[in-house]
Amino acid sequence: MLFTPLQLGPLTVRNRIVFTAHLTNAAVDGRATEQHAAYYAARAAGGAGMIITEEHSVHPADRPYEKLIRGHDPAAIPGYRRLTAAVHAHGVPVLAQLNHNGGQSSGMYSRLPVWAPSPLADPLFREVAKEITVVEIAEIVDGYARTAAHCVEGGFDGVELQCSHASLLRQFLSPLTNLRTDTYGTDRSRVVAEVVAAVRDAIGPDRVLGVRLCGDEGMAGGITIDDAVETARRVEPHVDYLNTSIGVATSTLHLIEASMHVPRDYAHSIPAALRKAVARPVIGVGRFGDHEQAQRALDDGVCDLVGVVRGQVADPDFARRAPAEIRTCSACNQECVGRVGLNRWLGCAQNPRAGRESVPLPPLAVPRRVLVVGGGPAGLQAAATAASRGHRVTLCERSQQTGGQVRLAATAPGRAELTAMVDAPLAECLRLGVEVRTGVEVDAALVERLAPDAVVLATGAVPELPGWAAGLDHVVDVRHVLAGDAAPSGRVLIPDELGFHQATSVAELLAARGCSVEIMTPGMVVGQDLGITLDMENFHRRAAAAGIALTTDRMVVGARAGVLVDVLHHTVGATEERRYDWVVCASPPRPDDALWHAVRGVPVHRIGDCLAPRRVHAATVEGARVGAQL
Amino acid sequence: MGALAGPVRVGPRTAPSRVVFGPHPTNLARRREISDRHVAYYARRAAGGCGVIVTETASVHESDWPYERAPLSVDCVDGWAAVREACRPALVLAGLGHAGAQGSSAYSQQTLWGASRIADVASREVPQVMEQAEIDALVAGFASAAALAVSADLDGVEIDAGQYALLRQFLSGLTNQRDDAYGRDRGRLLREVLGAVRRALGEDRILALRLCCDELAPWAGITPGQLPDLPGVDLVTVVRGSGLTTHATRPDLHTDPGFNRALCASVRHALITAGWSPEQRTEPFSARDQRGGPAVVLQGSVVDPAFAQAALEAGVCDLVEMTRAQIADPGLVALVRAGTPERIRPATLSNQRTHVRDPRNPIVSDDAEPDAGHEMETPAFPVVEPRDVLVVGGGPAGLEAARELARHGHRVRLAERSARLGGAVLLAAAVAGRRRMGVLIPWWERELARLGVTVETGVHVDAAALDAAGRDGTAVLLATGSRSGLRSYAADVPVVTAAEFAAGAVLPDGPVVVHDPVGDWTGVGAAEQVGSRAVLVTPDQVAGTQLSITGDLAPATVRLDRAGVRRELLSSLVEVRGGVAVLEHVWTGGRREVPCAAVVDCGHRLPDDALWRARPHLVRAGDCVAPRTLHEAIREGRRAAAEVVRGNRGPGPDFRAQGV
Repeated sequence: MLFTPLQLGPLTVRNRIVFTAHLTNAAVDGRATEQHAAYYAARAAGGAGMIITEEHSVHPADRPYEKLIRGHDPAAIPGYRRLTAAVHAHGVPVLAQLNHNGGQSSGMYSRLPVWAPSPLADPLFREVAKEITVVEIAEIVDGYARTAAHCVEGGFDGVELQCSHASLLRQFLSPLTNLRTDTYGTDRSRVVAEVVAAVRDAIGPDRVLGVRLCGDEGMAGGITIDDAVETARRVEPHVDYLNTSIGVATSTLHLIEASMHVPRDYAHSIPAALRKAVARPVIGVGRFGDHEQAQRALDDGVCDLVGVVRGQVADPDFARRAPAEIRTCSACNQECVGRVGLNRWLGCAQNPRAGRESVPLPPLAVPRRVLVVGGGPAGLQAAATAASRGHRVTLCERSQQTGGQVRLAATAPGRAELTAMVDAPLAECLRLGVEVRTGVEVDAALVERLAPDAVVLATGAVPELPGWAAGLDHVVDVRHVLAGDAAPSGRVLIPDELGFHQATSVAELLAARGCSVEIMTPGMVVGQDLGITLDMENFHRRAAAAGIALTTDRMVVGARAGVLVDVLHHTVGATEERRYDWVVCASPPRPDDALWHAVRGVPVHRIGDCLAPRRVHAATVEGARVGAQL
Repeated sequence: MGALAGPVRVGPRTAPSRVVFGPHPTNLARRREISDRHVAYYARRAAGGCGVIVTETASVHESDWPYERAPLSVDCVDGWAAVREACRPALVLAGLGHAGAQGSSAYSQQTLWGASRIADVASREVPQVMEQAEIDALVAGFASAAALAVSADLDGVEIDAGQYALLRQFLSGLTNQRDDAYGRDRGRLLREVLGAVRRALGEDRILALRLCCDELAPWAGITPGQLPDLPGVDLVTVVRGSGLTTHATRPDLHTDPGFNRALCASVRHALITAGWSPEQRTEPFSARDQRGGPAVVLQGSVVDPAFAQAALEAGVCDLVEMTRAQIADPGLVALVRAGTPERIRPATLSNQRTHVRDPRNPIVSDDAEPDAGHEMETPAFPVVEPRDVLVVGGGPAGLEAARELARHGHRVRLAERSARLGGAVLLAAAVAGRRRMGVLIPWWERELARLGVTVETGVHVDAAALDAAGRDGTAVLLATGSRSGLRSYAADVPVVTAAEFAAGAVLPDGPVVVHDPVGDWTGVGAAEQVGSRAVLVTPDQVAGTQLSITGDLAPATVRLDRAGVRRELLSSLVEVRGGVAVLEHVWTGGRREVPCAAVVDCGHRLPDDALWRARPHLVRAGDCVAPRTLHEAIREGRRAAAEVVRGNRGPGPDFRAQGV
């Protein structure tokens, strides 16, 4: 059924896989760019059934972020034509999402008050909104119609109204944000009905109109599934499909873009309830990771179509490929969600081309014999890219298994999906004929014997304990624990210099084994970067349940056998001695770059952690870059 | 007029005044080019009498991309040339730098470059250790960037060895732990760069250096005593701070203006006396006698021309960098020359608009001069017959509207309900450590008096009075400010709003819960003021989350800890009953109790718009539209002034977006 066509009003879609709306930050000066065209076209070429672009703002006072497409401006139309032509070239329909962010915004870019149903401050932006007047509501309704007309003129097959993540329409629908006493308050879906009517009027019967509804705001007193069903029934006669969502972008974003810690089918109840209530096709969203899961949702009657965003970001050919060949999204959220929230272009830790589709690759070079040393994410990606460009590649990995630190990190609780990051490029290497040799230690003599045309060093980094740990027992690195080389027990301190999953992962692992665990950071927040991957909230829930203590503004400055540690509370300058049974350090590792100066007489490229120890995305992009430039 | 506003010789060239506009991030670039917006921004300061303009620091090598709109020298030549043309007679220097390990890999998608394998405190990213190839590329990058500045006919360049600078990282034991020649002699890289840049510049252009002389980390960092060799340098700007103390370089209003005075004086003294014999050293030190060596610039929250003049006269420096002061008032030097320094719009030093190194790429501006950074989009004030205008409300929106109207010849009456002018600014200035926010009020009072505005305090204006004014043909502008907002919790102990607390409300003995759902300067300041019996309750992971852009986030935590304030993070206040506050963890839902004798509520405020609701056809501005900050109030005050003399009336949208 996943590949059975479906009628959506005037449109036939060839399969049930939809690339649903999400921010890309590819806009420049409010316009859609070549990058938008290339990005969406890549997913169309990859077999998606339908594409719904990111939001197009319907009103000039709506400027929540810098790289927003300003659809209210007719100057957007040429960019639309380029985008829609690029997608249509692959026989795939493309819709535009229309939106006004209402109070989920600030005056930073517009230099104007933000508009909302009621004078409240959004939990993220924290700017008290101006309660809009009836005249202004009419202006906004008109803005939707005008923007829809621009989209039709720009070649879109239809439009979708966002009443979900960050939207004025949802703010009208929600009892939490609509405190009005006029008819827009007593009838909270009135404005949605008005917009639906105005937009249908603007686009006519030959274009698709969809509405995306939030089925659960994830906040006490907010929109419930019953509210969503009622709204769906009201708009159903005028629309061609219904799309769904869970969460609110500026307060419960972790529900919208759930990370690998959240079970894949977590949002099924919403499309299922809507589908029971209405006859129009319903799109289900929420961490659809593979064909089988999508097929199951269709079989179970959860939805008629599946929204797959991150899956198609990680692999644009998600729909077209055989399941075993797909680069499956790990839901790590590091470079998609993690970048977009910081006003950067959307990327992907697994797909180095994501967000860069319009940047041409270097021309193909003469095929060479390439030796890649190291089978972690950097080496695997370098080998896969080089092989895909016609080079003859040998990859040597010292240990018995490729995957490097990723494989180790994936053994921590809730992190198993990380393995896709190294399984997929390994599968690509094997498909492309890379000779993968494990258990092979490469030295200068071996390089000389193999006599490659180029060497890529991807030898990673090895644990390095802080200076104060020298010579002490029961002081180890996170990797020692994950690898099973150390088995801490009792009271465990985890001093964290990295601020990411290393400390929190090992803390959860040890707490589950019965240890009494404390994570300590010199920073103001434990595991600070879990915030950008939307793991923070659920980590706190798990940590509280497991009794993990979280200590900020403190650092270890000395230690003695015992293990006695000197802890500096640096904001006040006080030091105290504390006793732990074990100390597990989350510290930057040391690049393993012994070969860098040893290999002579052949071009040598360093990538990944052996150049500078960083996160997996750095390994992937550097692997791809060197693979393309050889 | 003292020496400050007069010309000064800088190396081979002459600046029209001793006031410098220092390099700073603006986010005015297009891609990585110096843009037409930059040109307008700098030209406005040059027209106002600025002596030396150092353009926004441009990266000298493609390995450096510290923030999205950071200029890149190879992309800057046309922009530099346009700045040069637009800014005569001011001297224009190209700011040149490389942020090294304090940069970002987010845009370049490449490694950071560092002297040693030491992660920056903020990013926690470990850099690639530079080998000779990278060092050579860096030196060549500085030289070729200087050559590009010559091709744009700039007066010279300023090399960055201050904050966010790889050259500082090489100078410092905090970040340079190399065991090669660049580690044994930490000044070597800087000397190589200065030499290469001088060769590229030739002898007739200025080689300036921004030099960190105190990293505030004496255990390993640069200390004032250790000045590196500075061959060929014409101008040295003395700055302080390291990656551990980025906030200390351009600190906010918690730090007193002119804080670098002693440091600068010692550096200047050392530079002047460097080549002196022991006999010469015993001679009385003459402040004005440079005897060669570079001219020295005093940097560091200098905002007062009298302070700057005094520093010159005392031999502290030869020039004075007044960057934020000239963001706030581009005409600062001209007003000094005119003998009317009291008319200079004071800089608040709040850093709320002047600091823009933030991933959202806000445009540089100022609390009280919202046109700063927006020079190209400022509409002309309408030219109409002088009108009678009644401005209701003497807060920032009303004060600025009255000033703007009177400046354009209109007859203005300003009516303020309370006994004093200032509105919310009075409250903002009453927050602990934020007294400087109040500097604008006496300035407005002087301006309104000079412009002949009739100011009436203690006057209540009602709808009937508005109608009467309308019948007389008087235009009316409402700027009635805000009132306290709704509380989400019940309490059986005294609850005072932050405004009441700032106005001097007395709290009972015992623990005080400072409830701060906003996370700006108010809650943190109130908690500091309450002191060791305060419990700061915030839904955020840090206290004062909105302070990060101003640089005050980390210092605020230090102040709270030192004041003994207990921070209850990730917490919402459920209720206060029987002397106990019930807190709920915002994520886990876990509840706990803390003793509570009173609450200071720092929640969001609501528009005080009763008059507007009674007469919605009237133009309004500032917090009575939606409570926000000083910047928005002032901008709207100006825009409303233009609206009201155009005769615009409701009931249309307020501030319809025009061409945004």
